[in-house]
Order: sequence, then C-alpha cells, then structure tokens
Amino acid sequence: MTLRRPRALTAAAAGLLVLAGATACSSGGQSASADASSATGTITWMSAPLGPSGTDARKDLVAAFEKANPKITVKLVNAPTDTDTIRSTLTTQISGGAETPDVYDGDVVWPAQFGQAGLAVPLSDHLPSDFWNRFTPGLVKSMTYQGKVLAAPFFNDQAFLYYRKDLLDKAHLPVPTTWEQVQKEAAQLQADHQVKYGYVGQGSSYEGLTCDWTEMMTDAGGTTLDAAGKHAAIDSPQSQHALEFMRSLISGGVAPQAMTSFQEPQSEQLFTSGQVAFLRNWAYAYADANSSASQVSGKVGVTTLPTFSGRPGTGHSTIGGWNLYVNPHTKHLGADLAFIKFMTGSEAQRILATKAGMIPTNAAVLSDRSVQAGNPTLAVAAKNQLVARPSSVPNYPQVSQAVYTNINAALAGSTSPQAALKAAASQIDSALSKGGGL
Amino acid sequence: MTPVPHSVPTADRASPPPLPPRARAAHRAPTASGGRPRSRPSLRRRYARLGWLFASPALLVILGVTIFPIVFSVMMSVSHVTVLGGGFQLSGITGDNYAVLLRSDRWFHALGFTVVYTVVTVAAEVVLGTAVALVLERLTAGRSWMMALLLLPWSMITVISGELWDYIYNGVYGVLNAIVEPLLGHGVNVLGTPLLAGIAMGAADVWKTTPFVAIIVLAGLVMLPGDVTEAARMDGAGGWTIFWRIRLPLLRPTIAIAVLFRILQAFGIFDLPFVLTGGGPGDSTESLAMLGWRAMFQDLKFGPGAAVATSTAAIVLIGCLLFLKVFRSQVGNEEVGI
Repeated sequence: MTLRRPRALTAAAAGLLVLAGATACSSGGQSASADASSATGTITWMSAPLGPSGTDARKDLVAAFEKANPKITVKLVNAPTDTDTIRSTLTTQISGGAETPDVYDGDVVWPAQFGQAGLAVPLSDHLPSDFWNRFTPGLVKSMTYQGKVLAAPFFNDQAFLYYRKDLLDKAHLPVPTTWEQVQKEAAQLQADHQVKYGYVGQGSSYEGLTCDWTEMMTDAGGTTLDAAGKHAAIDSPQSQHALEFMRSLISGGVAPQAMTSFQEPQSEQLFTSGQVAFLRNWAYAYADANSSASQVSGKVGVTTLPTFSGRPGTGHSTIGGWNLYVNPHTKHLGADLAFIKFMTGSEAQRILATKAGMIPTNAAVLSDRSVQAGNPTLAVAAKNQLVARPSSVPNYPQVSQAVYTNINAALAGSTSPQAALKAAASQIDSALSKGGGL
Repeated sequence: MTPVPHSVPTADRASPPPLPPRARAAHRAPTASGGRPRSRPSLRRRYARLGWLFASPALLVILGVTIFPIVFSVMMSVSHVTVLGGGFQLSGITGDNYAVLLRSDRWFHALGFTVVYTVVTVAAEVVLGTAVALVLERLTAGRSWMMALLLLPWSMITVISGELWDYIYNGVYGVLNAIVEPLLGHGVNVLGTPLLAGIAMGAADVWKTTPFVAIIVLAGLVMLPGDVTEAARMDGAGGWTIFWRIRLPLLRPTIAIAVLFRILQAFGIFDLPFVLTGGGPGDSTESLAMLGWRAMFQDLKFGPGAAVATSTAAIVLIGCLLFLKVFRSQVGNEEVGI
C-alpha cells in the first residue's frame, strides 16, 4: 500500500523527465550553439580553488569571462577538495533535480559513469565538431562515452619524474630515461649513502595506484582492457613484466617497504625531506619541492617518466585533471556553452597556466614558449606520452578497484604477481559483465 | 501483582484530590473490583495522552530522520535502483541486490573481517576495561582526574586519532619503526601487511574504547551491594574468590550493556580503516561499512549498496538478540533488567 504511491509518483516523474528530455533535445541542437554568443543570465560555476594556496585563479578567470561576455554573470560556488566527496555532492544534487550548479568541475574519470547516469549534458550535441580541435590530442577521446563528448577538458594533470639534480651531478650520472636506469642509479646513490631510498611512487590501495600502475604497464606494452573495452586484458606477459619490476623496486630495497601504504603526500614528504633520489608525482610537486618548506629546494629537476629499456619514446603519463561538465537541468545552456568556450580558449588557459600553475588543455597555449618559461613542467608536459585510464566504461570505479587492490596486494608481497593479475582480470570481467558485481 | 487491600478507609485516604469533570465521570463507571471507585487508570490514561501529545514533535522528527531513511534504505535494497538525472528510480521488487552479495567474494571477505574484528576487539576491550575499572574503584585520591585523563582517547574524534596512529605505524617516519628498526635491523611495514594491519587497527580501537567500557563497568561496581562481599569475607573468602564468584557474576548485567554497545559500534567500523589503510593491503581490512560506502558513493551502485547496509544492520541486530538470549538463559531475567 505504502509502496504503491511512491512508485506511481516515480513513474509519473520518469514520464515527465522523458518528456522534458525530449523537448530539451528538440529545442536544443543547433539553436543552442547558435545563441551561445548572445546568451544572457546568471550561471553558477562549482569549482574547487585553483592554484597554490594564497592565490585564487578562479576569480581572475571569472573576471576575464565577464569582461568578454558582459551579459552573463558568473556566481562562483566552492566545491570540496576531495574528488569522492564532490562526486557524492553532485550525484545527490543533480539527481534531486537541482538546476545549479549550471557548470561544474569534474574529474577526468567520470564521463562514462556520469554519462550513463545522465548527470551531464553531452556537449558534442551542442558544440560544433571543430570546437574540439583546440585540445591536446587524446584528451577528447577520454571524455567520450558512447560516441558523445560529455565534458570539455579544463586543465590537465600529468605525472613526472622528479630527481635530485645535485646528487646526479655529483655522481656524474645522466638523467635516466628507462626504468632500469632509475633502478640502477638509485641503487648506486643508496650504496654511496647519499640517500636512504632510491625511488618512491604511490603504492597504497587507492585510485592513485591505478595511475602509477597504468603508466608502468603501458610502458611494458600491456593494456587493462581489450581493444573493444569488453574484457580484461590485464593478465598478460607485459603486465607480468611490469608488476615484477615494480615489486623488485620494493623487494630490492630501492623503494621503501612502506610504499605500499603511500599516497601522494607521503611520497612527496619523503622527497622534500631529502630522503629519496627519484619521485613519481603530479605537476604540483615541482612548486612544492622548490618551496621554502622543502629541504631540497633548488636541487630538483623534472623530466618525463622513463619507459622500459628497448621501448620507443618517453614513458607514459596517466591523464589526470579536471573537466567542465554541464548540469542537465540547467536553464542557461547557451550561457554555459559560452562559458566553456571561453574557459578552454587561449586567454583563460593562459591565466590557468601562469597564475594557477596548471597544465593547459589548449594545445596552442601549452606549446607557447612565453607560457612555458614560467613553469618548467610545461615544457616537459608537451613531450609526455599520455595514456588514459580505462574510464570509458561506466563501471570504471570497480575496474579501478580490481586493479589497485590486487596490484597493492602483489606489491606488499601477500600474493604473487601471477595470482594478482589473474584475480584482477576476473574481477574486471565481473565488473564489466551486465549489472556488474560488487 | 500485589493483591488489592480490602481495608476501604486506607484506600479512601490514598485517593487523589478532586478531579476535573471527565475524570470524575470515570468514578461512576463500574470496575473490576466490584464497583469500588477507581480513578488511577483514567488519570494514567489522561497523562499518557498528554505525554504522547508532548512527545509528538520529537516523534515526528524521529519518524523523518530515522524511520523514513531506514524504510527507504530497505526499499532500495529490494528494488532495481537507477540514478538518472531526475533522481532515484525504484522499480519492481527483486532479490537481485542480495544475490549480488552472495555471489561476491568481496562481501564474504568483508563480513569475515568485520566479525573477527568485532569479536577480538570487543573481547579485549571488555577484559581491559574491567581491569581498569577495578583499579579505579580502589583509587581514592585523584579518581576523578584519572577518569578525565582516561576519557581523552574516547572523546577524540576517530579520524583525528586515526591520523595520530598513522604517525606511529608509518613505515618510514613512524614512531614504531624508530623503536623496532634498531632491534630487528629492519623496519616493519605494519599497514602494508594484511594481518599486522588488522592488529594495528584493532590496537587503535582498543586504545580508544577501553575507557568507555571501564566507565560503564565502574558504574556497575560502585552500585554493587557491599553486604554480600562483606558476608563472603566473614565466611573466609579471599579477594580472588570474591571477585570470580561474587562480584563478576553480579557485574554481568553491566558488562552485558557494555558489550552490546561495543558490538553495535565495532560492527559498523568505518573511520579507522578509512584513515589507516583504505581497506588495504588489497582489500584485506575492508569492513562491511566501507564496502557499502564504496558501492554507493564511488560505484553509484545504490541497490547493492543498500543491500550491504540493510544486511549489515540485520546481522548485527540478530547477533545482539542472540547474545542477549544466551545471556538471559545464563543469568535469569530479573537480574538483567534490560
């Protein structure tokens, strides 16, 4: 009895929603992109603070946008700083039918999940196809779900190899380009008692390990899923090689045992306290390592991640960063699109790169020498080979959990690399199967 | 039931002061005791009605914030839930969400971990808590200071104390390794080894909640009748015998309350694994609450997530009821008082 009424209500609500969706589609399309230039109104933008503490590049961005689009006002709303909290906030708000935020910053691994749950407007329905040419290749593909682009790349994050310039110079060692070289040079610096540890990355059981792992596996020639994205391909000889190498860094004493419980802050702390020669971390670590709080300030170099010996090019960096998504309940689609066009354009991207120290997604800005001069990581970023996590499947969070829990167990030595990869593959397959597991 | 006294004058003297009209009408109504006027029940009923009236705002709030979410969660756990732009949509009644749990190794693992964790930590806390309470009872000077000091761990937010424990366990700059490394010649990766991580987490839990158990047991100790102990002592019983044969059996109802509280809390453990291990290494320290949170808020699988939540609540409820039942059959109803 009590069950029946809510069900009738949800059915009615669902019906209305379908209708609303249908009308939105018919009235949207070309007309929306056409009136993006003449849009008016006030839109809400939910974003976490951008840039090192003490600066807030969001305010500069909004001011620049309002100057270029005098008819549109932007209301800035603070987002939490933790990606999972932001996700649950947005899921609750948008599925509750909220019209705001109109535009929100969202993680690069959300497109499939949000696309499937209808939490974001497919932007490719409303923006001309040549709009996407402005971005660094590879970025747009990672934001595509079922042929539709669900978000516009806002700023990018990439991984780098940070090294102790002073120690390498002193020991007359070259900047390493292969993982084997990192291992050898690290061990030598340890043997010379220059540092306690040679290399540190992120090894805890969390999303960050999926990033570290994806890089090393791709360097070895492996992939997480098959080309069609339907089955696990992680249990391969290439993966086995990568995992054995990763494990050998720990078991050989080059990386600390405790790396299996490290996230970014712990590994960065080890580097900035001068206890380790090489660090894998994201773009922000450069500013941190050279800040006054760091004991290695001024002694830090940055380069692309290494690859395995015999493999072409540089090592791979996982694509991190944040995108601009549009709320499906927005009343100001035209203004939202104008906002997105501006924020991915050269003026806004220049502000992001120079004021906030972020890696711009706009290819022209990224390769601009005047922009690169301010931040050495940008010049390196332009050379990085990028690899996307397999976030094109809606169950990506589960796929990632299958990866990081098993890789973590193998790194900790509680299971063998073979068994870990086998378990990861079967858990990924169950996550990809219809309905998925738990 | 005490028999109704037959001496009418006494009953008259005990009768309440003049009543308002409605209550007086009740006086005339014949009662079971053979027409003797009896005002108590109707007065009680009137008070009861008034009581409900006063309580109703609070009850409405409870209905809104407790009953509704529970019912909604149970409904979610037996429906196909989809989050679409427009909100949660529940459709059909299904057992699929529970079938997903039963097919999942991960759920069984989380269940096993949570049960073992609960049993071990609660047992340790009860033993240590009782010991602390016995010492506190003897303490004459500075007992209140001691209690305030003991309550510090309990009053600390678990997420914060979890971070502090992380400083102890951390494999590189941790306090524990600073002590252990010179002795063993190598560091210990506490949080990166399945069994050690579980033990480390349990230790943090015991540190935090032993004072809670101690305070409850202390309250029970203070209330124990002194004459029984005195009689035993006069019969020649030693301290050891008095504790095991007299005081502990008398304390059992108090300990039962402490155990119940602790089981309910320990079974829902979330903050310690969240801060210390993130459920790792692998998923070896993943509790049911963490699994449910992951399913709901990371995977957006609300149906199976609700099934985890509902089944966890059901399991702990059944566990507590069983515990009480076993306990009652041992001690007898009148002693339990709960």
